[in-house]
Amino acid sequence: MTGHVSLSREAVARLTANTEPWLSCDDCFDQVDAAVEALLGSTVPLAEGFRAHLLGCAACHEEAQSLAALVAEHHDLTAADAVARLDAAVGA
Amino acid sequence: MDSLMVEYRHPIDSRDDGLFLDAEWIPRLSATGRAHEVAVRRLHELMLRAARHQVARMPDAAGLGAARRDEIVHSAADAATVSVLSRLSAFEGRSRFTTWAYKFAILHAGVEVRRAAWRDREIDLSDVPEQRDSDMSSPETYAEVRELAEAVREGIAEALTAHQRRVTIALLVDEVPIDVLAERLNTSRGALYKTLHDSRQRLRAFLSERGFMSARGPKEVNP
Repeated sequence: MTGHVSLSREAVARLTANTEPWLSCDDCFDQVDAAVEALLGSTVPLAEGFRAHLLGCAACHEEAQSLAALVAEHHDLTAADAVARLDAAVGA
Repeated sequence: MDSLMVEYRHPIDSRDDGLFLDAEWIPRLSATGRAHEVAVRRLHELMLRAARHQVARMPDAAGLGAARRDEIVHSAADAATVSVLSRLSAFEGRSRFTTWAYKFAILHAGVEVRRAAWRDREIDLSDVPEQRDSDMSSPETYAEVRELAEAVREGIAEALTAHQRRVTIALLVDEVPIDVLAERLNTSRGALYKTLHDSRQRLRAFLSERGFMSARGPKEVNP
């Protein structure tokens, strides 16, 4: 509580991100396996709540990226391509 | 002659990912005796693979040393195996079983790495944001971002509660991992994310009232 913190351009973007509609971390975890498979195996976009959650929660986003990379080969994708597809869908 | 050939498959032969066919996992893990033991061993191997994958992806893990990373991989795989076995009835087949199981190992490994990397680091729960000069492409951009940043600082000070300020600054400005802050504050990732979500809503409303927000986001940050 004593120190001062800085507001970089990136921090401002994180602070003002629109994370509606609401989705909890638990619900994100419940959905991430099916959502990642659907995204990598089709052109169906991410559900809006799931997308908004990954935009707003760095830890869940990192874990979704990791899962996409791990299962990429099932969808004839490289790990990098799978992560890029996820990030594009999230708008990160 | 081909039509007379029959493929021999031992009941616990490796297939699909070097493991079982996807549909075989639940019945095998739900079985008893030797079949169950083999299935659990295979599941643990699967969890080791996913935990190793997660740890290898995390920049924070690089500074932990090989021995600590290996400890985390095995600890996360053990915990994930227990998590999967205790939640078999929750698997609804909306994804491959392996994808569903992988997420448990990724979660456990991710949390452990974040906490280990920050173990000896102090977290200053500041509630006073400060403007910082940033790299800007032009004087106009600099002025616009500076103006928005100042408004955000005012929003943090005026629109958020003390708890929201501390959590929001720690997570979004200082970039403390959410699992680390949850551990220090004796709460959960989910509870902190809810605080963050509410803080963002209040900040966006504050900025909107002052003409800084468009329908899609802050005008100056995402024009």
